[in-house]
Amino acid sequence: MSGTEAVEQAYRLLQSEAKQKVEAGREKPVILLGTATCGRAAGALAVLAAFQEEIDKHHLDVVLTETGCMGHCYAEPLAVILKPGYPPLVYGSLDEGKARRLVNDYLVSDDPCYEFAMAALEPNDVFPTFADYPRGIYEHKIILADCGLIDPGEIGHYLARDGYSGLAKVLTTEPDLVIAEIKESKLRGRGGAGFPTGVKWETCKNVPGIPKYAICNADEGDPGAFMDRALLESNPHQVLEGLTIAAYAVGAEQAYIYVRAEYPLAIKRLRTALEQSQGWGLLGRDILGSGFNLEIKLFQGSGAFVCGEETALIASIHGRAGLPNHRPPFPATSGLHGRPTLINNVKTLSYVPHIIRNGASWFRSIGTPNSPGTAVFALAGKVVSTGLAEVPMGTTLRNLVYDVGNGIKNERKFKAVQIGGPSGGCLPESSLDLPIDFDSLQQAGAMMGSGGMVVLDEDDCMVEIARFFVDFTQKESCGKCTFCRLGTKQMLDILAEITRGQGKDEDIDLLQELAEDIKLGSLCGLGKTAPNPVLTTIRYFRPEYEAHIREGRCPALMCKDLISYRIIPEMCSKLCNVCIGSCPVEAIYTRPDMLKGIDPDKCVKCNSCVSACPPQYKAVVKLSPPVVEEVVAEAVEEGMSEVEQGSGADH
Amino acid sequence: MSREVALTIDDRQVKAAEGERLLWAALDNGIYIPHLCDLREAERTVASCRLCFVEVEGLRGPVTSCTLAVSEGMVVKTRSPGVDRLVRTGFELLLSNHRLHCAKCAKNKHCELQKIARERGLKLKLTRLRSLLQDVPIDESPRHFNYDAGKCVLCGRCIWADQEQVRVGAIGFIRRGIARKMATFEDGCLADSICTQCEACVKVCPVGALYLKADELRLYEPKKKC
Amino acid sequence: MRAMDLIEGEEELIHTAVGAVLQSCGTGRESLIPVLQGVQDRLGYLPRLAMQRIAGDMQLPEVEVFGVGTFYNQFRLNPPGKHRVEVCLGTACHMMGGHIILESFERRLSIHEGETTPDREYSLERVACVGCCALAPVVVVDEKVEAKVSPIRVDGILLTFEIEKKEQEAEQQREAEQQREEGREA
Repeated sequence: MSGTEAVEQAYRLLQSEAKQKVEAGREKPVILLGTATCGRAAGALAVLAAFQEEIDKHHLDVVLTETGCMGHCYAEPLAVILKPGYPPLVYGSLDEGKARRLVNDYLVSDDPCYEFAMAALEPNDVFPTFADYPRGIYEHKIILADCGLIDPGEIGHYLARDGYSGLAKVLTTEPDLVIAEIKESKLRGRGGAGFPTGVKWETCKNVPGIPKYAICNADEGDPGAFMDRALLESNPHQVLEGLTIAAYAVGAEQAYIYVRAEYPLAIKRLRTALEQSQGWGLLGRDILGSGFNLEIKLFQGSGAFVCGEETALIASIHGRAGLPNHRPPFPATSGLHGRPTLINNVKTLSYVPHIIRNGASWFRSIGTPNSPGTAVFALAGKVVSTGLAEVPMGTTLRNLVYDVGNGIKNERKFKAVQIGGPSGGCLPESSLDLPIDFDSLQQAGAMMGSGGMVVLDEDDCMVEIARFFVDFTQKESCGKCTFCRLGTKQMLDILAEITRGQGKDEDIDLLQELAEDIKLGSLCGLGKTAPNPVLTTIRYFRPEYEAHIREGRCPALMCKDLISYRIIPEMCSKLCNVCIGSCPVEAIYTRPDMLKGIDPDKCVKCNSCVSACPPQYKAVVKLSPPVVEEVVAEAVEEGMSEVEQGSGADH
Repeated sequence: MSREVALTIDDRQVKAAEGERLLWAALDNGIYIPHLCDLREAERTVASCRLCFVEVEGLRGPVTSCTLAVSEGMVVKTRSPGVDRLVRTGFELLLSNHRLHCAKCAKNKHCELQKIARERGLKLKLTRLRSLLQDVPIDESPRHFNYDAGKCVLCGRCIWADQEQVRVGAIGFIRRGIARKMATFEDGCLADSICTQCEACVKVCPVGALYLKADELRLYEPKKKC
Repeated sequence: MRAMDLIEGEEELIHTAVGAVLQSCGTGRESLIPVLQGVQDRLGYLPRLAMQRIAGDMQLPEVEVFGVGTFYNQFRLNPPGKHRVEVCLGTACHMMGGHIILESFERRLSIHEGETTPDREYSLERVACVGCCALAPVVVVDEKVEAKVSPIRVDGILLTFEIEKKEQEAEQQREAEQQREEGREA
């Protein structure tokens, strides 16, 4: 078939052009600096400026490229330096000083500054690679593989790494065969529920009705998940390729990317990517000469978590408030403008090019039989190595928390892991050996959700975390249906009372009843899953609820109304004034005996003094139930002048 | 024209037009199912009040009858422990945000909430749940009717009447979540809006949220003005 | 909450802005959200007049525009402060003390979340998650992300703005004096 050859040739031409461009840069040293949102928050832009300044100062011929996120958020800002003759090295926790030194010592001279290096990207004789760390044993990167290593603003980088080859292959294949391949791969939707992607595609394709639409759901609203943001900021073309393949398979010529307005950088990088793929003939009319047309529009969400729900998302594109509708009809049969509409999550679409390139059986060889492939988790909370991790489905929570995440911060004790955000649940230590996949999590009462994973330690109160999530869903409830609008508010009020020590014994049962009814009675997925954090915390941590209600005690010392702060006289150093300086409301005072005291009326329980008290003293403690102490006031005037002198000397 | 289908509701054989919503098929045959938001004339069901639950053979758990089309041979039960539990909770949730003073309400004895309580043996007072009611003023600005947002169940019937039936567009839903309410542009008084005071909305209100001043004459409770 | 009264000249500004946005986005129903976003980008908020004009041009009931404008978090009906402080209260930030940071800002600025200081210098908002969970707790100040914020850092952030403001005022005063002197010399 000449059509097939023409498409293949068109692609080969593009790729060789891209490769030439990229290769040309390879003779010079290259600095790849991660400037995704997380990198920027850690100061990547200042590091970028320092690199540039130093490079200019020495008139070096160095390529300085901004890339996305490698997933090692704990070590941001992070850069990869490629210098001919040396292994590619990753440097973490950079600052301006280190950036200048790297230019001076490594690029000008030949000292690779191993003391700043984290790992090498390729096996070599001098420095270990990521695979040599425990983390490397469990990580299996598919959709994160290129993140942080390619320039998201340069389509050539993606093309040079076989990007868009999946699309080229698909364009010469019958749509039914493409769908068959996705079905065969058993890919399940990564947006949360795990619905088989191929089945969705097939439904959408087979429903009569023209035009059809394809939508990429990038409304990542789960508070605690940021992998969609990272994917869009680090490798936008991967998503575009996936979306284009999906659109071709179902027969859509118009597609949307619905992205949160809270992700300005992702929007910016997507815009650039769309322009470039259009410019290179990979989008628009007659893609690669195949006769297939596709237009992709960006639609910015306006800050409503519920718009992650498919029908609410469609209402939002229609220009209405994001209120979900009853399903069925499902969007795949009647969606945007009442037409068959395919909606897939960013991660789901990111897998598609890889499955097309490597085949369904390759994909199925990773992960578990019912949940093949990998899972991307956003590790956050009290874990040492926070960031993004991509591991095969079926990896245990223990491996994730202790090997990939390097365990709990500050040698505290693990308590629970909150997985799946507001729709998920809190799993206790006894679940640590649970292999994670869609079905096992559901059985445990949690949900894959979008893959947010917040590790909690002994200082985190489970009633409070339940309250936090219900507070979130209650605020984000669209208010359309009775159970979600009023039920989440009822749950929130009960939980708030418990965290304030005003709970009653019967509240736990009432919470449970309400939670079960809201799960069954709500109209959409937001309401149906909102009770999960409540149900799992009651299921696994009931004694904590009881301690709040019966003893007025917060075992994790977190609930403000149930704790008080105290400075233990025997441990306090009279000469140290650090706590006084740390207190934002001047609640700490010096007693006549030079020890420090806390005025309970002024204290706002911000914990600053606990963090400030030097580790050799550890004199500030939290007590629950709270103990109200008298202020030792009478001699304050007497001691005043001394205090002032004392603190003056400290400065 | 449209074919008839035979189905069984609560062990009774009934007939209904094909494609008819189960809720209306039951009501037409004298079988009561609690409901607030659905309107027979409306093109699409909103399914927001979550009270019309039934059990249907072959479907898992209680389902809303307003979103289900009747089909030949369908076997339906309007009562079951599961249905009753959901209806009770849904009903109590609505009451928890409803100004409860039936004896002094203009819609006393003509209120859908009272009907549901009667039919299902539910109490018209809060027992399990906390009251979520905010002190909201009553809009007394229209000449012949009032709007008490503290009694609104957010069924949306009035908005349908305003926007689809008489096509005025004076009222709509604003805000979201617990703050969601029926209101005019900028949440002002009805009389200051483009409302024509045609009272189409009053006619469809199932509860005491929109009511005629004439019906209220027997009320003498002091109220806040808008 | 009703919209604030307009200052002179603002009316024209609003019409120009809305006109331009409608021109580029179109007046179909599907454009409503992009139009509202565009208008807010230009004006900083959605004034009453803008919503009325949009409703008129798009042939929608005014209450419909108001309904959409009040449904989404992103839209503001009142002008924001000069400096926008957004405290992230995503899961990770909350557990790492985000609520303490929010309280610190509330205390320092004497306003609650969702409000603007009377001098219109600061507005304080909470955001659900900015996706920087690994660097919690996070605050976005004038679109710049601040990582691992502590109550003391809150004071630091505000102090920086105050110093900036004082410097600017001093600068303006100097300029004014210089001009006066130049005027005298002339």
